[in-house]
Amino acid sequence: MANIAAQRIKREFKEVIKSEEVAKCAIKVELVSDSYTELKGEIAGPPDTPYEGGNFVLEIKVPETYPFNPPKVRFLTKIWHPNISSVTGAICLDILKDQWAAAMTLRTVLLSLQALLSAAEPDDPQDAVVAKQYKDAPEMFRLTARHWTAAYAGGPYSNPEFDSKIRRLTDMGIESHDARVALSSFNWDLERATEQLFS
Amino acid sequence: MGDATREAEPRVDGKDAQVNQDVLIMEQQRQIEEEISDAIPLVGAKEDLLGTLEKEYISDPIYSMKAKDLSSKYNSIRRTRPDGNCFFRAFAYAYFERLLTCKDDYKGFYDIVSKSKDDLIELGFPQFTLEDFYETFMEVVERIGSGDMTQDELYELFNNQGQSNYIVVYLRLITSGKLQRDADFYLNFIDGNRTMTAFCHQEVEPMFKESDHIHIIALSAALNVGVRVRYMDRGDSAQVIAHDFPEGATPAVHLLYRPGHYDILYEQ
Repeated sequence: MANIAAQRIKREFKEVIKSEEVAKCAIKVELVSDSYTELKGEIAGPPDTPYEGGNFVLEIKVPETYPFNPPKVRFLTKIWHPNISSVTGAICLDILKDQWAAAMTLRTVLLSLQALLSAAEPDDPQDAVVAKQYKDAPEMFRLTARHWTAAYAGGPYSNPEFDSKIRRLTDMGIESHDARVALSSFNWDLERATEQLFS
Repeated sequence: MGDATREAEPRVDGKDAQVNQDVLIMEQQRQIEEEISDAIPLVGAKEDLLGTLEKEYISDPIYSMKAKDLSSKYNSIRRTRPDGNCFFRAFAYAYFERLLTCKDDYKGFYDIVSKSKDDLIELGFPQFTLEDFYETFMEVVERIGSGDMTQDELYELFNNQGQSNYIVVYLRLITSGKLQRDADFYLNFIDGNRTMTAFCHQEVEPMFKESDHIHIIALSAALNVGVRVRYMDRGDSAQVIAHDFPEGATPAVHLLYRPGHYDILYEQ
């Protein structure tokens, strides 16, 4: 790894771990390898959003050309959000693409992602299925996102109705994640989800 | 589908195909960038102007004619890598090179750049990274001032990717700072309904974003360094037209513009 990238990440790492957001448990960064090329980030779901109470883990890969090119970041924790792929965790955020600037830091990235959880941009979606639900059925979206937060990010709000629908499908031998994806994509219409899963 | 294990999902409109398209485009861009960076140094050696341009435009009468015109005023050219940073890199190299011999300009320049950091922090730039770029930039400026820098060392430094890019980043920040500070004036030059801050985030601060007139005007004004740009294009005139930034300033840096790219020129 180029020296500049490693030095910069080392300094940033120190900056993040003593930041006030870390003190408030809002963000966190950990090293994955000694070489500073891979880090693990964590952000807390913002209050008054369907992600509240959840803890979201991020994979952060630092390119050799950092900080002149952005870090590669994706969600490892499964999440239901218009700008994040529910399949791969890939993120659609301008500062991780062509609006990255070398003056930004890991802290900027984590705080921007947290802001993205508070304010989705459905017109520039990463996950078209989620984005469509977000626009067409906002309440359904909110419940689904909150359910995913409980299922994957340790969120406090379980949804007995959703859980029982998932159980109906797992009883038929469907993996619970696949059941959740199908139900979420069809606004929790059990019949349509079943049809799709067995088609 | 991008993820083979998820074939069964109700992906109604090919989202993953779209994602993959993005990834492919970014990969291809990277490949092209690599080819360019393997072939062209960040800052090249000084070349004889007429010789090199005549060879380049041997079968192009308009450009040949303009090369001749240019050679009546300039005798050498120094190429820079066409990576979107060429204006900033060419500007920095040409001006630093001038400061190596032109001690009279040094003091004024030093005073301006040494207080640039506080101005930028005041505008809300993050102190943590700003200091990093500022210190690297000032280290180079101070070495030039103390006489502890030769032509060869400057050349080497500008071809060290990290250091060279740090200097580019700092000039981008200075440019952004100037544009935001004097936003009322510079807003007249940008189109669309963008705020100046948005424009700077999108077009000035990111590396590899090409420079337009507005970048040149702002940087030359911020640093009080005159820039003369010679425009070489397909226009009818036999002459290579000059533009001075800021208007009326005595040029300390001469650049050659050919559509999409800047190189450094050396006067007779």
